[in-house]
Amino acid sequence: MRAFEYFTATDSKHAVALLAEHAPARVLAGGTDLLADLKSSPSHAPKTVVDISRAADMRGIEVNARGLCIGALVTHSEIMASTVIRDLFPALADAAHTIGAVQTRNLGTLGGNLVTAVPSVDSGPTLVALDAQVTIAGPAGHRTMPLSEFFVAPRRTALKPDELLVEIVIPAENLGKPAHFLKMGLRKGQALALVNAASSLRIDAKKNTCKDVRIALGAVAPTVVRAKTAEKFLEGRAATAENFAEAGRLAVADAKPISDMRASADYRKDLVAVLAKRTLEAACAQSKAAKQKGARK
Amino acid sequence: MTDVTLKINGETRSAAVPPETTLLKMLRESFSLTGAKLGCDVGDCGACTVIVDGLPVNSCLMLAGQADGREVLTIEGLATPDHLHPIQKTFEDCASLQCGFCGPGVIMSSKALLDANPNPSVAEIRDALAGNLCRCTGYTKMIEAVQQAAQVMRSAKSKRAA
Ligand SMILES: Cc1cc2nc3c(=O)[nH]c(=O)nc-3n(C[C@H](O)[C@H](O)[C@H](O)COP(=O)(O)OP(=O)(O)OC[C@H]3O[C@@H](n4cnc5c(N)ncnc54)[C@H](O)[C@@H]3O)c2cc1C
Ligand code: FES
Ligand code: FES
Repeated sequence: MRAFEYFTATDSKHAVALLAEHAPARVLAGGTDLLADLKSSPSHAPKTVVDISRAADMRGIEVNARGLCIGALVTHSEIMASTVIRDLFPALADAAHTIGAVQTRNLGTLGGNLVTAVPSVDSGPTLVALDAQVTIAGPAGHRTMPLSEFFVAPRRTALKPDELLVEIVIPAENLGKPAHFLKMGLRKGQALALVNAASSLRIDAKKNTCKDVRIALGAVAPTVVRAKTAEKFLEGRAATAENFAEAGRLAVADAKPISDMRASADYRKDLVAVLAKRTLEAACAQSKAAKQKGARK
Repeated sequence: MTDVTLKINGETRSAAVPPETTLLKMLRESFSLTGAKLGCDVGDCGACTVIVDGLPVNSCLMLAGQADGREVLTIEGLATPDHLHPIQKTFEDCASLQCGFCGPGVIMSSKALLDANPNPSVAEIRDALAGNLCRCTGYTKMIEAVQQAAQVMRSAKSKRAA
């Protein structure tokens, strides 16, 4: 790694001030992407690194009036261990579990994962399927936007160089909304996704129909994408195996995968159909299980 | 220079290093703790695994400055000259290592697992070791050794309690 200057921020405000003072600077959270990048591409050498890993106000996981708020510095291991998250959204903990291995999950943060914004970003699909919003802090204060708009292109987000991602919020109306995440890689451990997918939906118990359907796909387009054709098809339709299979087939229309050394585009399309279907089925099963549990109480 | 003061294997140590120094480099070059190995240098192999504040991490992906004020445990902190740690002993008994390059990382990952989970299943052991690559052994004997170590450590604990 080339030499750089190094400053440690005590909280998010301090970090924003340091970024303004030492522009252009790079933010360091868990370092699992940044340090690997600086080592493999010496030309990326920043003049200054602002270490935010000690910013205490960016580490919390809490439910409040806005919804489930997850600080950008929460690590993948912390997401897996959080009882709040496991109760409300087991899919988020499942997604975290598929990222790298234990050592990387102990360092790597949710914010770093989203800001790196590779097409296969494993935290992306579940959060997009749950309509997550991101809170961004900059010299002019805070702004929010949907996570789906935060992703702009491979490795590009809506963040400006002097801005910080501080928090990810799943809105209150979606608390406990059934959701499921699946990832297919070439191995069980430490594998990037060939395709990853998440679905969320609600089931009308009386009519057994689907509503508020969201299907989000990763690694098959420049950014995480919603399979809107399939979502529209399912909206209001019966929650049956046939309809979920048809939605899976329709989801392929929104996938624009490439062929690379890991898999061909055609194989990725097949995976989209299967993963979309399975995540829908699992979200549906979760919805029914929650209702039974509610009825027994 | 970045001033770093931290606890390593129970002892407080300090060093002034260039900011771009990784924890791994500082351990090896400033403190001559060469147990943790430099393998891939980008998080893939786990040869550099050390335990920071109770959690196993890739020390090649952590800046020395990020370890300031923390507690670091390395392979050198496990054994005394005449007494191996139970995990080291069962790795020896099961012939779990061949060249040994991956060993310090594998053993630190196993240590962190058994500290958090004294009775892990095979699936949990595999998950805990997924970030440690071994080019020699095929892992089977490591998993046996971790199971045996778990047993030894549990019975030592219940004896202490009795
Ligand atoms: C061995 C290995 C395996 C991996 N496997 C996977 C995998 O399976 N799936 C997957 O999705 N990822 C994987 N990753 C990628 C990586 O671990 C994650 O993306 C991780 O979550 C990044 O978080 P971090 O805190 O380490 O980010 P850092 O490396 O600290 O930062 C990453 C980037 O984001 C910026 N940044 C970080 N936080 C903020 C913030 N709050 N505000 C503004 N900018 C910020 C940094 O400037 C940098 O550009 C893997 C990495 C390694 C090394
Ligand atoms: S040297 Fe750190 S993971 Fe390979
Ligand atoms: S024993 Fe040689 S790399 Fe594991």
